[in-house]
Amino acid sequence: MAFTLYSLLQAALLCVNAIAVLHEERFLKNIGWGTDQGIGGFGEEPGIKSQLMNLIRSVRTVMRGIGCLLAVPQLEGWKIPGPWGPCN
Amino acid sequence: MHPGGLVAAGTPRQRKWPSKRRTPVSQPGMADPHQLFDDTSSTQSRGYGAQRGPSSLGYPAASASPQAAFLADPVSNMAMAYGSSLAAQGKELVDKNIDRFIPVTKLKYYFAVDTMYVGKKLGLLFFPYLHQDWEVQYQQDTPVAPRFDVNAPDLYIPAMAFITYILVAGLALGTQDRFSPDLLGLQASSALAWLTLEVLAILLSLYLVTVNTDLTTIDLVAFLGYKYVGMIGGVLMGLLFGKIGYYLVLGWCCVSIFVFMIRTLRLKILADAAAEGIPVRGARNQLRMYLTMAVAAAQPLLMYWLTFHLVR
Repeated sequence: MAFTLYSLLQAALLCVNAIAVLHEERFLKNIGWGTDQGIGGFGEEPGIKSQLMNLIRSVRTVMRGIGCLLAVPQLEGWKIPGPWGPCN
Repeated sequence: MHPGGLVAAGTPRQRKWPSKRRTPVSQPGMADPHQLFDDTSSTQSRGYGAQRGPSSLGYPAASASPQAAFLADPVSNMAMAYGSSLAAQGKELVDKNIDRFIPVTKLKYYFAVDTMYVGKKLGLLFFPYLHQDWEVQYQQDTPVAPRFDVNAPDLYIPAMAFITYILVAGLALGTQDRFSPDLLGLQASSALAWLTLEVLAILLSLYLVTVNTDLTTIDLVAFLGYKYVGMIGGVLMGLLFGKIGYYLVLGWCCVSIFVFMIRTLRLKILADAAAEGIPVRGARNQLRMYLTMAVAAAQPLLMYWLTFHLVR
């Protein structure tokens, strides 16, 4: 067991960080997921791939500002009071 | 404080409150369809205080006599008046701001249930095979409150089932001599974490598949919370009849929840044409069908995962 809310928070933070550090030029462009590559106009429906690309771009934009603030408690090792779990 | 209040109350005062409580002007449920709860606010704050329950009946009466001498002092009088005005201001501020973070009025809709609805819904959760019409009734663009329509989602059953699941888990651990109080918190945290993960995963997939649906997050939490009922049933049977009983009842509840979720979500996620039973071909509808099946299939898996360690 031991799947607590705190570990969910940690996992979410790590996933968001993973998405945020994807490098635009070295990686995303090479697999065709760059931000300037996918927007196909106002077609009928976006499709999964362009939705994913949008999501990645928004996560990267948001993460650069607010997300870094959210990561500070984890990085500093602060203890947050609450029913998070034994490994808080 | 309260027992002392009851003793010092004296029966004449106590008898005054219940008579006030029995004469509120309550309207029948169907009179105003937008009204979620029966109107019991006809009497003023005194009547409201009377409905708090017998234990506090004696309290306001008791506080009058010992504080009579206290109130004669003008300074404390003023202090009490100031304190009560401050409390009223604070309450106003909280009421104004809490609606920004927690949609209280929307939440009230999910708790507008009555006993018949709860009974019927529980029956539906354990035996959804004979129910024909799964569509939620609407009234002037807003869905009807749960007490008028058995198909509407509610948060009462999931909340109660979650708490009961925690208690039953504690009971099960206790019968195996494995209980300790922090384990209860751990169970609660674990179940909540899985629920949050499920909600986030489903929201993400709904976003990726661009489903235009009126399925709100709270609706989703309500639907995902219905599996706790089956889990409670399974664990209780496991306590009474051992592993065989647990597997039988859990298997039955898993299949029921699977059918329930598919029939409910099909109307919400799939396009209207598909919901009427016509198998519409096309990549989009197929994807949505897979999404519905995946959500429904996750329920039995989670039901097993969250309970198998409780039954030995």
